[in-house]
Amino acid sequence: MSTPDTNLSGADTTPAVAPPVSSAARQSMLTTMIVLIRRELWEHRALWITPLIVGGLLVLTAFPIHIGNVVFGAHHEDFARADNRLGMFTLLLWGQAVPQYLVMVIVLSFYLMDCLYQERKDRSILFWKSLPVSDANTVISKLLVAVVVVPLGVYLTAMVSGVLFQAIWAARTASGSLPKIAVGWDTVAWLKVQGLMLYGLLVSMLWYAPMAAFLLLVSAWARRNVFLWATLPPVIAIIIERAAFGTRYTQHLLEYRSWSGIWNVLLTDPITPESGHGRVVSLADLFDNTSMSRAFLNIDLWLGLAVAAVLLFAAIRIRRYRDDT
Amino acid sequence: MTAVIEARGLTKSYGSAKAVDRVSFAIQPGRIVGLIGPNGAGKTTLFKAVLGLTQFDGELRVLGRDPRSERNELMEDVCFIADVAVLPRWLRVSQALDFVEGVHPRFDRSRATSFLGKTDIKMSSRVRELSKGMITQLHLALILAIDARLLVLDEPTLGLDLLFRRQFYDTLLNDYFDKQRTIVLTTHQVEEIENLLTDVIFINRGHVVLDSAVDSLPERYVQLTVTAEHAAQARQLKPFYEREVFGRVAMFFEGRTAAELSTVANGLGEMRTPSVADLFVAKMSGAGS
Repeated sequence: MSTPDTNLSGADTTPAVAPPVSSAARQSMLTTMIVLIRRELWEHRALWITPLIVGGLLVLTAFPIHIGNVVFGAHHEDFARADNRLGMFTLLLWGQAVPQYLVMVIVLSFYLMDCLYQERKDRSILFWKSLPVSDANTVISKLLVAVVVVPLGVYLTAMVSGVLFQAIWAARTASGSLPKIAVGWDTVAWLKVQGLMLYGLLVSMLWYAPMAAFLLLVSAWARRNVFLWATLPPVIAIIIERAAFGTRYTQHLLEYRSWSGIWNVLLTDPITPESGHGRVVSLADLFDNTSMSRAFLNIDLWLGLAVAAVLLFAAIRIRRYRDDT
Repeated sequence: MTAVIEARGLTKSYGSAKAVDRVSFAIQPGRIVGLIGPNGAGKTTLFKAVLGLTQFDGELRVLGRDPRSERNELMEDVCFIADVAVLPRWLRVSQALDFVEGVHPRFDRSRATSFLGKTDIKMSSRVRELSKGMITQLHLALILAIDARLLVLDEPTLGLDLLFRRQFYDTLLNDYFDKQRTIVLTTHQVEEIENLLTDVIFINRGHVVLDSAVDSLPERYVQLTVTAEHAAQARQLKPFYEREVFGRVAMFFEGRTAAELSTVANGLGEMRTPSVADLFVAKMSGAGS
């Protein structure tokens, strides 16, 4: 077999390895992460366009909507009752926020399933891998986008749309198109609702991290049909368990992790906001009943984070070592 | 002196098939090396190993590093173009510059911008709006602006017309290459690049079949072209490959120089050093089988 013989003799004596770059020249970890996150928002524009559109549409609901002869808007007598003022105020803030979070969950699910799959499909992964960015940083940036950056962005748009909505109503009340006592601004209640939502959001980020990491893993792993690989295995597991053992542990676990568990973690008393017989529970009261330490003492929250770490590690390894592109 | 790439017993198996089988070679700094082989010879596998994109057995050092465990550090000194299609289609030209500037400590944005200024590429264009040739120009602009030690090009001009191909290699030679840098490339258009290569490595079925500086090919290979009536006589000198061209027969000899061969084959026909392309065909069809 060939050894380097002929082409060595007489060649120049320049060392092949460059002198090490000074540490100042090296990009810091934080800069790299910001660049990577910006990259995600360039590629997946739905991540920031969708919340802006949804937030904008929700603000528009402050105006009465005419469809035929029917007018939708604030004509319910609840709005006119003085003892409901605070409850209605906080409920309207909630009403602005909740649809935005629901849409966000859908957008993020598709983002997570797509982000490590599309780059393999169009082979652009070879371009990203030609740059000095580790697979760990790349995959972590995608998880951060889904679990931190976008949720905080939606929190801000929900906050702004809530304020705009109230401002439009205040203007309409002043101009006489709404009853005088309709819904008034209450700064303390507003702050409490924002605090409650931020707290709920932070706990949700941690609670749903394992699900996000699972979608990332499927995205990194599946050859095709990411959506089916993400959804069918849990369904099949439930069916097989019921057929084989007649039990429903998988189903209960998934229900617990995807919906019911988070309330248990968040709230001292499992009450859900609902308007009862004419009296609307103020979400500001909910804030007073929330125990911050409770969530972080919840063992399931930490178990979920451990699972998320394992799934994330697996996704990084797969992106690092698979070579079928 | 340190080799830029040094492989010893490099092996990569896919199941029972060996894409690369106990390959050893060394590439020195300041060389332009053509890695040449038929489809499926193992070129891409070799590149993937060098770039840390795949696992393998055996020993491989790239710029003194192990590409398996030190890939991230390595990529600060290595650039590669896998082929023209891999720039993501949604990426804007300005975003490409922003991104590489953000993650690469050796990226000189002004260099890339000045190169792009000479093309028709607009900063606001997305990759999907560019022609294949322009995408290659963009990729080249990014790479020219990175002060790397090793550039790996896997079919960089695939699907481009002759003008773009010529321009690509001219730019590479004039604006990029110097004694500190090393370029390793594969292409099927061997004739077009053989004048710029300093070294060639032929690879076939996972084995290196030739590893030589272009300058020293005359010491090892000679092509003797004879008329049909001299063919039988020339054949007794044991060429490893022969091929008929316009009624004459080109015979390829290994391990002899023209001077030495002329002592026995004087007057039989013309002698010269085979071109890289002809030698490639000869090696692939002749000695191997």
